[in-house]
Amino acid sequence: MKKLFAFLLALVMVLSLAACGGKSGQTGDTSGSTPAQGDSGSSGGSAAPTKLTLILRAGTYADVIKECLPAFEAENNVTCEVQELSESDLYSGIALDAINSAGTYDLCMVDGSWMAEFTDSGVLANLSDLGYELDDDVIPATTTICYVDGQLYLAPYYGNVTVLMFNKANVEAAGYSADQIQSLDDLLAICESAQAAGKKGFIYRGDNQNNLVVDFLPILLSFGGWVIDENNKPTVNTEEFKAAMNYYLKLIATGEAQVKDDLIASVDTGAGTMGIGWPGWYTPTADSTADYIALSGAASAGAKAYNSNVYGIWTIGVPNNSQNKELAVKLLSYLMDADVQKSTVPSGGVPCRYSSLQDADVLATYPQYEVVCKALESGMYRPVIAEWTQFYTTLGTEMDNIVNGVKTVDQGLADAQANLEQLMG
Amino acid sequence: MRKHQLVKNHAAGSAARRFGLGMISPTMLVLLVMTAYPLLFTLFYSFTDYNLLRNLQKPASFIALGNYTKLLNDAYFRQAILNTVKFTLLAVIFEMLIGFCMALLVNSLTRGQKVMRTLLLLPYLLPTVTVALSWRMMLSPNYGIVNQVMEALSLPVFNWFSDMRTAFGMLLLIDVWQSAPFVFLLLYAALQSVPHAQYEAARIDGANSVKILFYVTIPNIKNSLALCALLRTIDSFRLFDKVNLLTGGGPANTTSTITQYLYNYGIKSLDFGFGSAGAIVMTVLVLLLSSLYIKRAMG
Repeated sequence: MKKLFAFLLALVMVLSLAACGGKSGQTGDTSGSTPAQGDSGSSGGSAAPTKLTLILRAGTYADVIKECLPAFEAENNVTCEVQELSESDLYSGIALDAINSAGTYDLCMVDGSWMAEFTDSGVLANLSDLGYELDDDVIPATTTICYVDGQLYLAPYYGNVTVLMFNKANVEAAGYSADQIQSLDDLLAICESAQAAGKKGFIYRGDNQNNLVVDFLPILLSFGGWVIDENNKPTVNTEEFKAAMNYYLKLIATGEAQVKDDLIASVDTGAGTMGIGWPGWYTPTADSTADYIALSGAASAGAKAYNSNVYGIWTIGVPNNSQNKELAVKLLSYLMDADVQKSTVPSGGVPCRYSSLQDADVLATYPQYEVVCKALESGMYRPVIAEWTQFYTTLGTEMDNIVNGVKTVDQGLADAQANLEQLMG
Repeated sequence: MRKHQLVKNHAAGSAARRFGLGMISPTMLVLLVMTAYPLLFTLFYSFTDYNLLRNLQKPASFIALGNYTKLLNDAYFRQAILNTVKFTLLAVIFEMLIGFCMALLVNSLTRGQKVMRTLLLLPYLLPTVTVALSWRMMLSPNYGIVNQVMEALSLPVFNWFSDMRTAFGMLLLIDVWQSAPFVFLLLYAALQSVPHAQYEAARIDGANSVKILFYVTIPNIKNSLALCALLRTIDSFRLFDKVNLLTGGGPANTTSTITQYLYNYGIKSLDFGFGSAGAIVMTVLVLLLSSLYIKRAMG
């Protein structure tokens, strides 16, 4: 009886393993035929559609791509599956898939600050080799990180750039209008005035190290500082950095730390007065309570104006291990097409193209795109270094200590400098 | 004859052993693949500088105890350990007390036990992400109901997750709110199995409620209490999702737990070698904490 039972158990195990094996074999066959199908995707009218998998940043950034896909799918006999992820999940999703010889994704959305790490590690396909080049309509400053040794790896898709988001009524109550905000001193004066009136002044994102650092970078740039020098050595314990940090402490003392959704709600309702934001967060209209402008880049009236708008541009590229590279490049070309990009504007799309941002019809409905265009022409990318994730984590941790009064500015920045020097070797 | 009997017995014993081995081998196989292999893999990588992306081009280097030295010399890691231990102790104490009180209360009800049991269990049935986001909305400094009520009562309001005075307490409160029902469930089941005769005998002997609690109820459910404490200790020690969603370890590292630290400095940057070392340290700490119970359970 026992022997019979053991035999039956073994039989069940063998059958289960065989069933699993059979399934994986089938998958292998399908994937083996996929590239061929993909290459002939446009011609095969009766062939099964090729599946393209897109990994994108969730939110407006993915929404505007998704609304363009049906036309491409119909024209090229493909189906597109879209994965929408948060920033950190997107980064790890692309990286984890990069270790596979046959990748899952065919088109990926990439933050500019990941570029160095991704190209160093061969994660992205060379778009120049695949026959794709950017045209002259794309704002040149936004393309600087897209090239490595003259070869194109990414295309700037969504023109996110830091802007100063403010509540119109609170700014007017402080005796200012949008075009009168000329320097950081004006920002402080408005926020102090709002605070005196019982409202919150400057709202910043303090919920993680990345947000802390990114919200501070436009202020740092306005003081002429930056986080690394031309040799990629950390420069966070400089006079410019200290001056910016001391100013920032005064500015944030007028408000408080909030998460992104609360920040937008605060500024929209007038509970808060202003904060650093991104065009993708809010679409101002003529009768909206909030608006945004590009920072002037001057710390005080008469001081030198620096480029102080920080890019958060979402670029698109093709993973090097994509199984449908040619079709993926075709999709990328379609998404980067000037007309297709312009069609995304009503849904919140922010193309990095003059033809969209300077179009008379677009500006008549969305006048804020003039501000965005100006900011995109003179923006700064976050440092393109492979260690950027560790870099902002270390710097953000020390900044968190400073803004919460655990360390002084001098102590916090000295610690950050020491830790970052160790990181950067 | 006797020799023949011995041989027969020996053969029967061998067959039984073989059958036994055959029966446990699938479980052993699953355990080896699902538990031992990842643990050994993690241990191996903890001695290397393995970074998922950078090591696509070149293999990782063996750095001996480099990751462990870096970890233990990092003041933020030590702070994360302290925060985790503090959180675990407080969470387990509050969850055990509240869960036990809930179990006693429901067990004493003569009517409506099923309804109460279901209602009290609801927080535990909710996904942690839902719990975290619901509390974030309720405690929002803008439109949160908590601040609105406090303002209406002329009480001071707080920016709950960004204020160093309140962030840790809020995380603790949310964890206790969600996990106390788990303790309740286990202890309620244990209370149901306490023989009624013991209660009757205690009452006949003139014992009051407090004496019945300490001399009848608790001794009868002490194994369940110990199991509950162990499970909650292990679970609280691994706290991550609520911290990551609500505070990210801030403000100023006051809510940074070991797992959040490992996420920030190891996983997020794909430094899996460093992250593995942290995971091994954490496993050792959890084993130390739970060793008392395991030793007791093993007899």
